[in-house]
Amino acid sequence: MKILKTIARLTLALGFVAPIGGTAAAQQKVTLLNVSYDPTRELYKEINAAFAQEWKRRTGQDVEIKQSHGGSGAQARAVIDGLEADVVTLGLAYDIDEIAQRGKTLPADWQTKLPHNSTPFASTVAFVVRKGNPKGIKDWNDLIRPDVQVITANPKTSGGARWNYLGAWGYALQKNKGSEAAARDFVARLYKNVPVLDAGARGSTTTFVERGIGDVLIAWENEALLSVKQLGPDKFDIVIPSVSIRAEPPVAVNEVVAQKHGTSKVARAYLEFLYTDAAQAIAAKHYFRPTGPRSLAKYGDSFPKVPQFTIDQLFGGWAKAQKTHFADGGIFDQIYSTAGK
Amino acid sequence: MSVALERVSKRFGEFVALDEVTFGVDEGELVALVGPSGSGKSTLLRVVAGLERQDAGAVRIHGEDAAPLGPGDRRIGFVFQHYALFRHMTVFENVAFGLRVRPRRERPSGSEITSAVKDLLQLVELDALSARYPSELSGGQQQRVALARALAVQPRVLLLDEPFGALDARVRKQLRQWLRQLHDEVRVTTILVTHDSEEACEVADRVAVMHEGRIAQIGTAADLLRETANPFLGAFLADSPRPSASAKRIDYH
Amino acid sequence: MSTTIAPPAARHGIPPGLRAARRTATAATGESAIARWILIGIALAYLFLFLGLPLFVVFEEALKKGVGAYFTALRDAELLHALRLTLLVAGIAVPLNVVFGISAAWAITKGKVRGHALLVALADLPLAVSPVIAGLTFMLLFGMQGWFGPWLRAHDIQIAFTVTAVVLATIFVTLPFVARELIPLMEEQGVTEEEAAVTLGASGWQMFRRVTLPNIRWGLLYGVVLCNARAMGEFGAVSVVSGRIRGQTTTLPLHIEILYNEYDFTAAFAASSLLAMLAVVTLAAKHLLERSHHAARARLIQEQQEKQP
Repeated sequence: MKILKTIARLTLALGFVAPIGGTAAAQQKVTLLNVSYDPTRELYKEINAAFAQEWKRRTGQDVEIKQSHGGSGAQARAVIDGLEADVVTLGLAYDIDEIAQRGKTLPADWQTKLPHNSTPFASTVAFVVRKGNPKGIKDWNDLIRPDVQVITANPKTSGGARWNYLGAWGYALQKNKGSEAAARDFVARLYKNVPVLDAGARGSTTTFVERGIGDVLIAWENEALLSVKQLGPDKFDIVIPSVSIRAEPPVAVNEVVAQKHGTSKVARAYLEFLYTDAAQAIAAKHYFRPTGPRSLAKYGDSFPKVPQFTIDQLFGGWAKAQKTHFADGGIFDQIYSTAGK
Repeated sequence: MSVALERVSKRFGEFVALDEVTFGVDEGELVALVGPSGSGKSTLLRVVAGLERQDAGAVRIHGEDAAPLGPGDRRIGFVFQHYALFRHMTVFENVAFGLRVRPRRERPSGSEITSAVKDLLQLVELDALSARYPSELSGGQQQRVALARALAVQPRVLLLDEPFGALDARVRKQLRQWLRQLHDEVRVTTILVTHDSEEACEVADRVAVMHEGRIAQIGTAADLLRETANPFLGAFLADSPRPSASAKRIDYH
Repeated sequence: MSTTIAPPAARHGIPPGLRAARRTATAATGESAIARWILIGIALAYLFLFLGLPLFVVFEEALKKGVGAYFTALRDAELLHALRLTLLVAGIAVPLNVVFGISAAWAITKGKVRGHALLVALADLPLAVSPVIAGLTFMLLFGMQGWFGPWLRAHDIQIAFTVTAVVLATIFVTLPFVARELIPLMEEQGVTEEEAAVTLGASGWQMFRRVTLPNIRWGLLYGVVLCNARAMGEFGAVSVVSGRIRGQTTTLPLHIEILYNEYDFTAAFAASSLLAMLAVVTLAAKHLLERSHHAARARLIQEQQEKQP
């Protein structure tokens, strides 16, 4: 253990371990760590700058927000293992539930602490196709055509991909008058068309866009719009299906850690800031759908209208959906092991 | 008595290398230890040097018990079969090594070291090659450097472990005569380990024959050749080439 | 009972001088000119394909948007932090592993330590284990839910997801490089030079400093270069234990991945070019050291020859 301490001291001495969190003197700079998932990198970069300005104006204190990004599940795992996040902003509520349950650094009822189930902005699942849509993909049922190759990430490891899976399931369920068997058959046929199952959402975007594999990429609308804008407006088109799932990436203060850092107040203010008009405008700019009524009115028209179902409506919440579909030996494991054959 | 061993034993696992050996060398004497491989002669030498520790018995050097002394404190010079020259040092630096590593108080000055090394290199007739590296020398030259290096620390006892074993016959013969001359000049107590009884008889004042960890016989070369008291010894000496035969053999080379 | 003794010349083989002469003789003979050119051609094509081309692409991509954009990307505070952190990590991991590598190689080859095989196997372990697994194992030890988690929490020590963790993980994955270079070298050299030094009165430290170290220095240097390259380039283990906190625990390779994932290709390849240049600097330093040594040696021999009539 002595060597650990020596190394720790050495790194501290060299100024590399800026202690996360605030210090006694209120006027000193405070640091927050926001542990987030993959597609919010660009979004939080801008929001953090805006919040820092706002906080300085309000309190005179400098705030710096450090970011850590990765697959939503892996990030939750890191927080459980001790990554000292002041706030978590993940891809699905289930991952934050896991932190509450296993890491015990935030309360079980975390989702009631902020408006709209602690979801400041939402998205939906859409398709990216090659320019001109050569395969004529219009809706979910085109994805099970034998001539179509579908790119999506592994729902076991990627939070974003779980929304894709549930979107397909929900579509089939509604189409077939609530028949679970038909939905299962539909999803199984869809995953038979997936040649590469990447571990993360960004990975499948890269597979589709950079490596040119597949005819259609299932992605969150914001991720789809961003990648098309970044990587080639002249190479891809976006297709919005007839019905889709409402993707709700929630946020929460990691209370025990924030308390330890003395950052509870600024952490909460940071998350509340996400609901302000300023932050909602930034979210809309990054193709996230605002949830605030005023912002919705302002930016709603810039997003295609699509009927959306929620996870609570069709799947009885994340805990249940996770257990039925994504747990080991769950429906995904069953259909994917047969899809490969 | 310059070197004295009293009932010295050494085992390596099951193998008995030295079995209660008692043996002495007089001041200024050159004694050769002969015997086949595994007879314990090299182990005996290494025990005297302190490179191995005996399991039982005592080693005295000039009457002093050597047990508390490490190899560096015994004032011995050791010459290895494969020279063991420091390959990254010049000839000069190799010879100077023993002087340079002395504690500061006992260390000679730079100029003293230089002149001492020059003298030694003259003695071994290698003063022209002092800036060479060992790899640039012939085997015979390397072994002469090794001797000079061992002598540089002014040892009370010189220990030679098959010093000519890796050389070809002609060089071996030359060096052997040269060693005898050198010893007459320097007169340092010397123990020479060799498996070549002809070499032992030609160079040494006395020859000790070792067999299975014991000294089977000890005496002057003439005594040994006359007596052959021990059946093993007779066989061993008979196996060795006689001077005339070995001279002929050299001619073929 | 009879004991036969082989003639000395046969028992000890050819003297080293002759052996060297024979070696140079074979090098000059052998394959025809065509075969030689084909071999050289294959080697060059291979090098170009697997080293030259990727290196070229890195710089080409980095400079795609112009020199201005390239240097703007390099001036980014987070990138500079990643660079500093990478140098710090290598600066801690490499010296520690040099000490470890020399000690381990010494114990295995020269000291009469028991359990050589086990020690060699242990020193090799980090090469056999995937770095990601190493990182995850590290989390199982130092994570809050891991073995030492409760103890660490009780003493308010944070190791996982800190620079300390990055350093420790890097030490682990780079542990074998120096030892592996030195073990065969020291084994081949044996102990007689050390024994000679000791009989000449050298202390343990003098023996090591003046005899062992100079003998192993080129192997050691090569081990250091490999160790350093890996320390600066390590991704898998560091990715797991760092928590990827931007501008805090992200080393250059992690930062490159972040930039790449953010579609910031200019910055990603600019950072990659930095990493490539660090490697070039390391290799150049190694080359210069070797050259200055050989030059000094050549000078010495020349002086010697001039002195002779």
